Amino acid sequence: MSIFTDPKLGLIPAAFHKKLEEQNRAKSCYDWAGYAAPGVLDSVEFEYFALRNQSSVFDISPMHKYRLTGPDTTAMLNRLVTREVRKIAAGRVGYAIWCDEEGMVIDDGTLFHLGDNDWRLCCQEPMLTWLLDAAWGFDVAVRDETHSVAGLSLQGPTSYAVLEAAGLDVSALKTFDLVQIEPDLMISRTGFTGDLGYELWCDWDKAEDLWDRIWKGGLHQGLRAIGYEAVNIARIEAGFLTAGVDFQPVHATERLHRGQTPFELGLSRLVDFEKGHFNGRRALLSKRDAPRSLLMRFDVEGFKPSEGSLIYNQRKKVVGHITSGIWSPTAKRNIALAHVRMPDARRSSSLMAEIYTLQEGKWDTRMARLTPVTKAFFAPPRARVTPPART
Amino acid sequence: MNHFDAIVVGGGVNGLIAGTLLGRRGKNVCIVEKSDSFGGMASYSVDGGPTLAHSFYNLSPRALSDIGLDLQHPVLAGKPTSTVSLAEDGRHIVFSDEGVCWSDGTAHPDSKAWSDLTQQLITYGGLLRQLAEAPPPGGHKAVLSRGGMAEVLRLAKLGIGLKKLGKSDMRRFLQVVLSNVYDIVLDDLSDGPVAGMLAADAIWGAAAGPRSPGTVFNLIYRMGHGGTITQPAGGMSALTDLMVEAALKTGCVLMPGTEVSRVLVDKDAVSGVITTDGQTLNAPLVLSNLAPKPTSRMTGPSVFDIETMRRIRNIRARGTTAKVNLKLKDNMPLPGLPEGLANSRLIYAPSAEYVEAAFNPAKYRQKSKAPVIEAFKMQTADGSGWLSTIMQYAPSDLEGGWTEAAKDQLAQITVDTLGRALPGLKDHIAGRQVITPDQIESATGAPGGHWHHAEMSLDQLLTLRPANGMCRYSMGPKGLYLCGAGTHPGGDVMGLAGRNAALAALEEQP
Amino acid sequence: MKNLTTENRYDVIVAGAGHNGLTAAAYLSRAGMRVLVVEKNDWIGGAAVSRSLHEGWTYSNCSYVCSLLRREIARDLELPKYGLQVIPYEGGASFTRDGDYFAYYSDHNALKREMARHSARDADAYRRYSQSIMRQCRFIRPFLLRDAPDPASLRPRDLGEMAYLVKKAHGLGSRELGETLKFWTMSIGDFLDEHFENDLIKAHLAGSGIIGTGLGVYSPGTAYVLLHHYMGDIDGGIGAWGFARGGMGAISNAIAASFKDHGGTIHTGAGVERILSKDGRVEGVALEDGKVFHAPVVASNMDIKRTILHHVDTADLPDDFTKAVRNFKIRGSSAKLNIALDRFPNFPAAPEHTSFLRGDLHVSQSLFELEKAYDDWKLGRWSEKPYIDMLIPSQIDPTMAPTGAHMMTVFVQYAPYDLDVDGVRSADNWDDQQRKAMSETVLDQMAVACPDIRERVVHMEVRSPLEIEREVGLTEGNIFQGELTFDQLFFNRPVPGWSQYSLPIKGLYLCGSSAHPGGGVMGAPGANAASAILRNETRHGRMKGYAA
Repeated sequence: MSIFTDPKLGLIPAAFHKKLEEQNRAKSCYDWAGYAAPGVLDSVEFEYFALRNQSSVFDISPMHKYRLTGPDTTAMLNRLVTREVRKIAAGRVGYAIWCDEEGMVIDDGTLFHLGDNDWRLCCQEPMLTWLLDAAWGFDVAVRDETHSVAGLSLQGPTSYAVLEAAGLDVSALKTFDLVQIEPDLMISRTGFTGDLGYELWCDWDKAEDLWDRIWKGGLHQGLRAIGYEAVNIARIEAGFLTAGVDFQPVHATERLHRGQTPFELGLSRLVDFEKGHFNGRRALLSKRDAPRSLLMRFDVEGFKPSEGSLIYNQRKKVVGHITSGIWSPTAKRNIALAHVRMPDARRSSSLMAEIYTLQEGKWDTRMARLTPVTKAFFAPPRARVTPPART
Repeated sequence: MNHFDAIVVGGGVNGLIAGTLLGRRGKNVCIVEKSDSFGGMASYSVDGGPTLAHSFYNLSPRALSDIGLDLQHPVLAGKPTSTVSLAEDGRHIVFSDEGVCWSDGTAHPDSKAWSDLTQQLITYGGLLRQLAEAPPPGGHKAVLSRGGMAEVLRLAKLGIGLKKLGKSDMRRFLQVVLSNVYDIVLDDLSDGPVAGMLAADAIWGAAAGPRSPGTVFNLIYRMGHGGTITQPAGGMSALTDLMVEAALKTGCVLMPGTEVSRVLVDKDAVSGVITTDGQTLNAPLVLSNLAPKPTSRMTGPSVFDIETMRRIRNIRARGTTAKVNLKLKDNMPLPGLPEGLANSRLIYAPSAEYVEAAFNPAKYRQKSKAPVIEAFKMQTADGSGWLSTIMQYAPSDLEGGWTEAAKDQLAQITVDTLGRALPGLKDHIAGRQVITPDQIESATGAPGGHWHHAEMSLDQLLTLRPANGMCRYSMGPKGLYLCGAGTHPGGDVMGLAGRNAALAALEEQP
Repeated sequence: MKNLTTENRYDVIVAGAGHNGLTAAAYLSRAGMRVLVVEKNDWIGGAAVSRSLHEGWTYSNCSYVCSLLRREIARDLELPKYGLQVIPYEGGASFTRDGDYFAYYSDHNALKREMARHSARDADAYRRYSQSIMRQCRFIRPFLLRDAPDPASLRPRDLGEMAYLVKKAHGLGSRELGETLKFWTMSIGDFLDEHFENDLIKAHLAGSGIIGTGLGVYSPGTAYVLLHHYMGDIDGGIGAWGFARGGMGAISNAIAASFKDHGGTIHTGAGVERILSKDGRVEGVALEDGKVFHAPVVASNMDIKRTILHHVDTADLPDDFTKAVRNFKIRGSSAKLNIALDRFPNFPAAPEHTSFLRGDLHVSQSLFELEKAYDDWKLGRWSEKPYIDMLIPSQIDPTMAPTGAHMMTVFVQYAPYDLDVDGVRSADNWDDQQRKAMSETVLDQMAVACPDIRERVVHMEVRSPLEIEREVGLTEGNIFQGELTFDQLFFNRPVPGWSQYSLPIKGLYLCGSSAHPGGGVMGAPGANAASAILRNETRHGRMKGYAA
């Protein structure tokens, strides 16, 4: 008897796994919520440029997906998230965050308003019990669709053309629109790259058919399957946050003070104090004007990626750390997201990052000047044009 | 006129005291009660039978004086009652200030041990009373705020009180208060009706047995006001009538027979209530005498944080006590009981072990076949004689539900059990009433028909009562307060929860 | 006084060679003290012992798994150098009576999927559950190697420790402090009911809340008992449990080797008859074999009841202290089966190639079943359906059984010390017939998981609380040297006012699990007692060390 072949252990395939397996030349995978997800299929550079220059597909099925239906869904969601969900019309998608009672962010995600009293919440962290708790006392049914709905992210300048070639007309779709284009296929103009792109949603067991159809459509559009590493570069360029990296989801913290408020994450635009009570509102009212730190974007001196570096102020005291840092191949800048403690975050002109380097077996450090940046590092206008360009 | 300064939802003892206190501080108060009479659980009765509560032992003089009641009032003076622990062999045991003796007058060997222990618990009870007479510690953010300073002073006073006990007693207190009554009692007493009586007094109204850690706290709590048991002259309804009178005297508007269907909230502050008969009453302050869960039902969950609602749902309130009223054929003395003890509080708890065994079935949603009983012989207003009994354990969530058959069984068990010590009792009984926890719940709104609206276990006391983060009586939107037994320091016809809540409300809305 | 030669003169005598006694001794000898450990048995280890009662097999007779042993101690005493190796084990399972099981995998993805097989909701809720347990572990762990302050004292040391406690509590924030207070005072049953819906999952997780205690799953305070079993770690993996290679005796043996290597002496085969004292000051010990040893300091590894009520003259002690000791609750509630198996038993419910059989296996179906098991115990009977914690360490540790054969350890909860037979409750009722009857009950339970268990048995050792008391010396066979209830923990352990290892006779210390922070193969009471001894006694110059 050998226990080392216990079939119950380890990672399980996500919806497009078989298709990705065929192209997974690097044979790399990482654990995305228990699914085997590719970090890189071939080489990061080529995958990244497919995304920014032509088009790319990325399996987002491991995302947690929850369906919320019933007459009280809007009221329940409005108590859950910090923004006014009544402003998200049917057929639209909204980015939202939700907090615990202390105003600490639990997670961020996208709310798909599918129809009357019919919503889907898509997020990184498992959220079933929290949603059931949030729905208690409301006439709302919560269903976990994580393993029944597949998601494929099609991103890049030719993504519209790919869909067109696959026989899917999304010319009217504006950013954050969604459409049930076929009985078994929903398309939303959303993504995690800041570029032109779509997310395609279908039943889990129809995923491979969808793949084949899109793949065929992409034949002349330079479509490439990509792994997370390429996506990660794109999302940092766009300034998007990753749970567990750029903020600590408070339900996943043992040290509760490590949680962060929306204000500390620069997301105050998503907090609507006027809409009525929502979870954490009373705590946030008192924390609104007293952030302990700020999530900032920096242009980093030099070329060395700065992830994991400590940040020093003028008096050489550690005042923060870099959560995500890469060389941006498109913006041609060394960019970073970072947490900086108050009050140094307000005097951010004199901050330095201490970057560790490993060159040919020798570890070293270098100090790099940080320049605050307020806008996204890369935000191409093509992402917002409707109807989109084909190239 | 539908505008008030404050509305109290529910006219139980705590609601009446909260309303009256606010009235005396110049507030224009309306007390809304869904049933036709006030007094809630204290004076609830069926068809003129004995009331649910049949004595008081923990009524707070401080709460009474705060609502202007004369402590010397004949109703309150009532008659202090001795306790008798019934024994099957007919050698009942009588407890008094002098100690313990058998009904024939001979001293009981455990007399000194009992007196010492009781005295010790009463001393501790006095310390805990200081905590009961104010909101529990914690919950105030800033120590330097007025409330924060007051709290520090109060804790300092408690600390001094502890210090005054002396080192060894202070240490003993910190051990005993966390202990279980079974061990503490049997450390000093042999197991029998004396130990049984103490064990029983530690578990009334609780979903706990004497071996459950924390039950000593219940016993100490019960002795917070000296432990004297009083039957008010004219019964419990005379007591609640007195409170109604006090409320009216301060100008409170009383609305019996009116049920609140909704508490109105606007911009995170309460603005009034709507009643089931369609009236809207406006006020910036609403105090709910109900437990947290039914209160949240009146506002809807959306005005509370998700964690708050989760904590409210997790509050344990399994009522375990039924009221069995036995109507007596005549006013003859009870069989097997000496004349002088006829009006005593009778306890059937032959041993601490018996009390624990009685609890076992309740854990599994069964009723005790050999229950613990407290009984008073009394006369109701119409002159008829009753044996008013509290029987435990009769869980609210009885498997199979409280059918008529189950209720009959319960009455039979009660009669049979008492009959073991009072042989021939069944021949004296002309009729019986059974009031089960589920019935108490539907009549009074108390979750699970629980005496204290929420179990008085260590994890639901003080700062954790009614739930973590809610100990300062306010809950959710501005102006909404809880003032019932579910809050610190709990129920027991004590009145401090209502008083403390009113004072907390006044602190924020003077 | 006679025989005042250096041969029988020591700085410290430790009474009892349990793992805590040895730990205290090893620390003291490393500090340069001349230390003697005396042990009544012919072997050392107390309840952390490996014995071979059937040729070819090694039993961990009492304690059987390891997690609580503090990393600091293993490092300070260089235990790996003296042969200690602790290997974590993966997973565990609870079997149902209808042929299914719930498997607990250490692979969190596998665990989540397995939980979801029983309840999707519970699979999600487990995250919040384990987060809150981990938060409690984080809070409590720093206190294990510190003294419990006396709240009635104004000495700077007590005030300092109290301030540390307040600071740690304050650091939690008011909301989390509330959750902590609640956790510490609630029952494991209520805690699990707040998180989960599935009976089997709840039953599986509840076991750690009752192991070794005279409490039921719904007794307040059992959530803390669960924490007591979770606050350990293996190499930083908090809550992980493992096997000591060679059985639990390997721990005691390594500590003993470390001790001896630093000049320590162990005298076996004769227990302490009396702890000698004069004018309220300890002078040494007289052994059962008539030998007398002298020392200004005696540290007792025996539980507080045995130490005070059997081995010192209580006439010299304050009455309230003796009374408190007499009232100390130390109740036998568990039994143990150690079994030599001819080969691996068959677990029909377990899928082929499964890894979870290498962990702790159970057959309790629900919290009610566990609570009823407690009710039986209250009446002086062993549980009709006891909670069993069974493991087959020979799958991981090749030294425990001949190749192909296996060794199984079965912990049984509840079994009373004072067994009721025909209405008479007495420990003397534990005769061969009763032990056999109990083992049949346990085998019936085990058969739920492995129906062929009876055919696999080559040799079986059955230990009731009475055997545990007689052989190990634990009063009533209580594995923690005293109940882990609020009134006997922290500054209340063992009795109020005496929570810092010293006892009312000067120079007499407690170094076993009766002292803070309590039971389990942790070593903390021993290490803490050693530092209390060094702190209190060296400054008076009573202990000379090797210099003398």
